[in-house]
Amino acid sequence: MRWIPFVLAAAVVPVFLGPGQLTVYVLLGLSAMAVVGLSLLMGYAGQVSLGQASFTAIGAYTAGLLAVHDVPPLLGLVVAPVAAALAAVVVGVPILRLRGHQLAFATLALQLILLSVLGDADWAGGAIGLQGLPYLSVFGFELNEDLHYAYLVLLGVVLTAVVASSLVRSRAGRGLRALATAPVAAEASGVPVGAYRLLVFAVSAAFAGLAGGIYAFFVGYLAPGSFPVLLSIEYVVMAVVGGLGSIAGAILGATLITLLVQALTSLATQPGMPGYAPGVLSYAVYAVLLIVIVLFVPRGVVPTLSRRFRRETSPGRPAPVDPAPARARPGAGR
Amino acid sequence: MTALLEVRGLTRRFGGIHALRDVGLDVREGETHAVIGPNGAGKSTLFKLIGGQLAATAGTITYAGRRIDHLAPHRRARRGIAIAFQDAPVFHGMTVAENAMVGAHAVTSAGPLSAVLRLPRHRRDEQVIRTAAAHALRRVALHELADQSAESLPLGRQRALQVARALCGRPRLLLLDEPASGLRGPERTALAALIEDLRGEGMSILLVEHDVAFVARLADRVTVLDLGAVLATGTYQQIRSDPAVIAAYLGGHA
Ligand SMILES: Nc1ncnc2c1ncn2[C@@H]1O[C@H](COP(=O)(O)OP(=O)(O)OP(=O)(O)O)[C@@H](O)[C@H]1O
Ligand SMILES: [Mg+2]
Repeated sequence: MRWIPFVLAAAVVPVFLGPGQLTVYVLLGLSAMAVVGLSLLMGYAGQVSLGQASFTAIGAYTAGLLAVHDVPPLLGLVVAPVAAALAAVVVGVPILRLRGHQLAFATLALQLILLSVLGDADWAGGAIGLQGLPYLSVFGFELNEDLHYAYLVLLGVVLTAVVASSLVRSRAGRGLRALATAPVAAEASGVPVGAYRLLVFAVSAAFAGLAGGIYAFFVGYLAPGSFPVLLSIEYVVMAVVGGLGSIAGAILGATLITLLVQALTSLATQPGMPGYAPGVLSYAVYAVLLIVIVLFVPRGVVPTLSRRFRRETSPGRPAPVDPAPARARPGAGR
Repeated sequence: MTALLEVRGLTRRFGGIHALRDVGLDVREGETHAVIGPNGAGKSTLFKLIGGQLAATAGTITYAGRRIDHLAPHRRARRGIAIAFQDAPVFHGMTVAENAMVGAHAVTSAGPLSAVLRLPRHRRDEQVIRTAAAHALRRVALHELADQSAESLPLGRQRALQVARALCGRPRLLLLDEPASGLRGPERTALAALIEDLRGEGMSILLVEHDVAFVARLADRVTVLDLGAVLATGTYQQIRSDPAVIAAYLGGHA
């Protein structure tokens, strides 16, 4: 329950935000949802996905297309993560056999293919995309203000964080964490390695898909360009900055990077800056950040800080603990 | 006594190297069976074939009356085969208790959905897992370190942790690949006592060990491997007087 004060603080913030800032808040929350999933995937299944925004796109287009065909938006929002998870299962079966860089490239290729298919598909509006999507309405209440979406997104972040942390603390989660560092020993202990890798991939896709669904109703239009490869890279940078396999880290990483990108964008759109400045600056900053993190804080920000904190608050060896079974408590993320 | 594990004609090549050549071996229900042989004899390869970490080039493995050589390792674990590897890997970023708990995977089944929804099944399994882990850790005298991080343990204790993890799966057949290597005197004695206890409880054990005294004390039967082939099988008394074994392995000791 340590996280309750943070949720309360996050719930107070939107009240004080102007319209533009509320948009940033919503986008930040959507990124955080996707990054919580990606952090699980990278931290526990040991897989890097450079195409995670594919699943955001699949969720968004699912919600958008259903809405265009007069399916109630709430139903579309529920189907969005399911569609993304199904897509992950379908592509995951062949792709998860690949390791390391190969998987990163395969997921990247996947996103490029998806974007080009969407760009050519008449049923998805082609390059123009889907326009004039309705607002989300929940049992007759229409969410038609940015503030509504801010709270919806907060709910989404809490939901993904709760699902992720109960997953990590469970039997399956221990299996996942085990296979992250010693897959052979994990499998010999009865952990179905292949199925679990697929499971985290599907869960990570579902989180991204849910974020995509909310995005569709928040923004009201979708185009292939809404989900560039840069978004996938942004997710990876957020996950790495926060610390892989750390749920709090994923959220903090998303926050830090979003704020940084905001600052850069306002810098890059100053008069006299060329039109390509925002894009180039973002790529440059991501590259520099990745290098700095890998060199100096390889565990990511949150795990490093919490480690340091623990060391300072508990001088000397940790005392032996009561061996009673109830104390054999699974820890949080790594 | 019937054989719990029957290995027949087992062969494994790595490129040009015959790591195992037409190996036959039985582990009877309830016996402690040692596999000895010089470095590179193929002992670990044999264990990995039985555990499913490696696939055989030829031959069959029958366990409890059924062929298991086509099964994935985690399925063999569910059937009751547990293995503690020679290189004793522990799971990093997890406590000693959590490491042991992973071993209980083989005897529980609560899925991720039941954990997220906190179904009774999840809670029941968690209880089973915690009890099993606490029990197993006590058996290897690691219970006082339950909340420490596993990778901070000295190597000998990591080995013990691997044994605890294996025990958490309540195996019917336990494979121990050099569990005593790197252990100090008292730890060694404790391990021998544990193996005797497990045997007393009816567990079948396949054990690789270089220490002849250790083998002589624990093993009902011994199989001697050399260059991937079986040289002899029998009681320790029988194999120590086998001329081929004396020539190839025991040499000066016998
Ligand atoms: N993955 C592998 N690739 C190639 N050769 C291998 C592999 N694993 C084992 N070998 C070879 O197979 C032979 C048997 O190795 P194995 O590890 O089974 O021996 P061992 O009896 O366990 O030895 P030790 O007592 O040193 O543990 C050796 O010649 C080894 O070099
Ligand atoms: Mg060996």
